[in-house]
Amino acid sequence: MSEELVVHFEKLLTRVDGLLSAVVTDRDGVVLLRANAPNSAPPFTESALGCTFALASDQASKLGLKKNRSIVSVYGAYQLVQFNHSSLITTFVANSSANTGLLLELGSELESVTQVIATALHERHSGAL
Amino acid sequence: MLKPKLISQVLQQATTGGVKATILLNPEGSLLAFAAQSDRDARIYGAIASNIWTIYSKHCKPEVGPLSFLMLECEEGKVAITVVSTMILCLVARDDVELGILKAKCEALTRHLEEPLSRVAGY
Repeated sequence: MSEELVVHFEKLLTRVDGLLSAVVTDRDGVVLLRANAPNSAPPFTESALGCTFALASDQASKLGLKKNRSIVSVYGAYQLVQFNHSSLITTFVANSSANTGLLLELGSELESVTQVIATALHERHSGAL
Repeated sequence: MLKPKLISQVLQQATTGGVKATILLNPEGSLLAFAAQSDRDARIYGAIASNIWTIYSKHCKPEVGPLSFLMLECEEGKVAITVVSTMILCLVARDDVELGILKAKCEALTRHLEEPLSRVAGY
């Protein structure tokens, strides 16, 4: 199951120009799934990205605009597109010139996939209790 | 010198077409000027925007480059945050405003305010 998901994520990396990495973490920053484009090593710590987003998303949910769905952050050389998918966080690392709209659309498409992981985690967690 | 009334007028011009608030603040979260329905809303948006900007600034490294833009999408609205000189500019819009138009307004305001604000940034 896990290998199938990694293959699915790696296929996504080839679909969008400039997309370097896709990572699924929980809200504590624990990496559940990681797919990197060949010959690329984005200079971000995946676990730190998850924690940053969890913190920022909680803050954004206090704006009075209901729950936060996603955050796009653009730096000089890279951009991060992060999604709040129930209990999991999906992060895309891409070049700053990559198509942000496409990445946002890709994230919505992936929601059903991350939902599978979240359900599996929840079942395992409730089985352990 | 800078005329504070004019800054508010410029911000007011961007607060149309679904944009609910346009706020200019310093990196500590104190408001410099704003155009919003109420000053309470502006203070809340400003404080949270500055906090989130600080959180994401921590990823800045020489190989990553400086943080230039943030876009938050919530269930009932969208927020764009960018930097103008040393100040932070924040636009809050309804959910039906497209992210592209929000980014374009941010860039237009940045172009307009960059030069005058950089003159007072040193003070």
